[in-house]
Amino acid sequence: MAAIIETEGLVMQFPSTLALDRLDLHIPPGVTGLVGANGAGKTTLVSLTLGLLAPSSGTIKVLGLDPAVHGPELRAQIGYGPERNVLPDDLRAYDFVRHLAEVKGLPRDEARTRASDSLYLVGLGEERFRALGTMSTGQRQRVKLAQAIAAAPRFIVLDEPTDGLDPVQRDEMLNIIVQVNRDFGIDVMLSSHVLEEVERVCDHVVALDQGRLVAQGPMHELAGASGGVEIELVEISDRPAAIGNVVTQLETAGATVDRAGSVIIATGLPDDDLFDLVGDAVASAEARLRRLAPRRRSLDDIFTANADNVSAAEAGATR
Amino acid sequence: MSSFDSPDNTAQIAARGFQPYVGERSGVPGAIRSVTWQAMRSTLGLGRPAKNKIFPVISVAIAYVPAIVFIGLAVLIPSGIVDGPTYPEYYGFVTSAIVLFAALVAPEVLVPDRRNGMLAMYLSTPLHRGTYLVAKMLAVVVTLGLVTLGPPILVLLGYTFDGSGPDGLGNWLIVLMRIILSGVAVSGALTAISMAASCLTDRRAFAAIGVVLVVLATPILAGALVDGAELSENWRLIDVFSMPFELVFRIFGDPGNFPAVSTAAVIGVNLAWTVGGFSVVAWRYSRLVIAR
Repeated sequence: MAAIIETEGLVMQFPSTLALDRLDLHIPPGVTGLVGANGAGKTTLVSLTLGLLAPSSGTIKVLGLDPAVHGPELRAQIGYGPERNVLPDDLRAYDFVRHLAEVKGLPRDEARTRASDSLYLVGLGEERFRALGTMSTGQRQRVKLAQAIAAAPRFIVLDEPTDGLDPVQRDEMLNIIVQVNRDFGIDVMLSSHVLEEVERVCDHVVALDQGRLVAQGPMHELAGASGGVEIELVEISDRPAAIGNVVTQLETAGATVDRAGSVIIATGLPDDDLFDLVGDAVASAEARLRRLAPRRRSLDDIFTANADNVSAAEAGATR
Repeated sequence: MSSFDSPDNTAQIAARGFQPYVGERSGVPGAIRSVTWQAMRSTLGLGRPAKNKIFPVISVAIAYVPAIVFIGLAVLIPSGIVDGPTYPEYYGFVTSAIVLFAALVAPEVLVPDRRNGMLAMYLSTPLHRGTYLVAKMLAVVVTLGLVTLGPPILVLLGYTFDGSGPDGLGNWLIVLMRIILSGVAVSGALTAISMAASCLTDRRAFAAIGVVLVVLATPILAGALVDGAELSENWRLIDVFSMPFELVFRIFGDPGNFPAVSTAAVIGVNLAWTVGGFSVVAWRYSRLVIAR
């Protein structure tokens, strides 16, 4: 599959900071999450993707082109939603989106039409003639998304698009991002430090930590089923030992059990056996089952484990 | 059978809403044109709240009022009783308005983009630093042209309709060309100086004050050196306030206010200010680290 972004040995060295350290990336079409804590190198990678910075060494190709060589041609095909508040307060949303669509090369009439269309798409159709300075944080984030898609790009880069949004607004924004990819075929790279939202909407993930690649690959491989079951029981006041009895029976049968309150994670046996065991144990202990599901490894787990591995390997190498 | 039922009906309902765009893109020239136009609109307060229109409207009005007055006098008072100013002399009536306008325009065009991150937005489009600066420079030059070109052209038109303009089409065109050359030269020099000031600070007010101080301080210094210390008249060349307008006199073949200074030196110093100013801007922007 042709990569949207491909890098080899990508290094970005600032005077006092190594922002990216020998990254080899292959980002395929779809929605890709770029995750990592603050200072992980996400924004530097975004800047390199757009050609705002030139790499210290290594190569980067975006849509098959080198941003340093084919910058103007490439940037006309990329939409960019920055993290920073870059909206001029006294401009109307429509004027802002239309202007940037024109700068991206759309004819004036087309830019006007598409500015309105994209603002409708993000749910700001009725608000499009309001000054940006009078809009809420959620509305301004939507305006940034609208301007990123207005010029009909092949690929959009969104830097922390849910920053400052409440849970409802965040859900709406994530739904729009998925819609942009699914309905309009625009590939998306979403930079975020909120792993949960990346897990929810992304097909692929790239995890960075202090400029190093921690993990990359399809989301279902990185954060899919991991073996084992997750059980949640109801605490019953007249049978306080019920949960403990379930744990004991599972351990006796050879499962490895990790309990946190009323939540139990059982591993160490084939999943089918574990499901049967849990059913028998709950019945014999007269416990009450609230939830029983295959255990899923979260992106958080992967991120933490891999970051620890990288640190351990480095510590070993320096000894 | 109604037309809706006709098997030959080929009418379709066009899909509405967000659609892919497959047409031509205007590329870098279109991007420059759009940024230039938007910067000019912004500077003049167009599409912005009323408070942003006040200063541009006042400055432009001040630049045009003398032209309107002179044309009125030329029309109302018989020829020969009141002589209007020559074209270079006209600038003498509006120099302060032009300088103040220059001090306002360039900071308004350049500084906010760096402060609020719009520069990074623009550089995520087909523009790069050089083409971005070209767009902004054009915006400043053209906007300044409103006050450096417009009023003298208005005077020319007024004199022409009054019958006191240049004789014959050839002479008229020569005067027009000299006016355009003068306006571009004054705009270019002041654009370079004000853009240089605007790229050295992230505060519009500081940039504007810096331009005004440079423009006001250099005539005092030049006067002190030439009149006080009795140094060579060529020290007048450091006078940033006067030299662009001195060049206008020379373009019209007039010895100007400083006849002891050669025309070549006047042209040279204006070129130096213009090239020097733009070089400072290019240097400063080449060193900006722009991320996000």
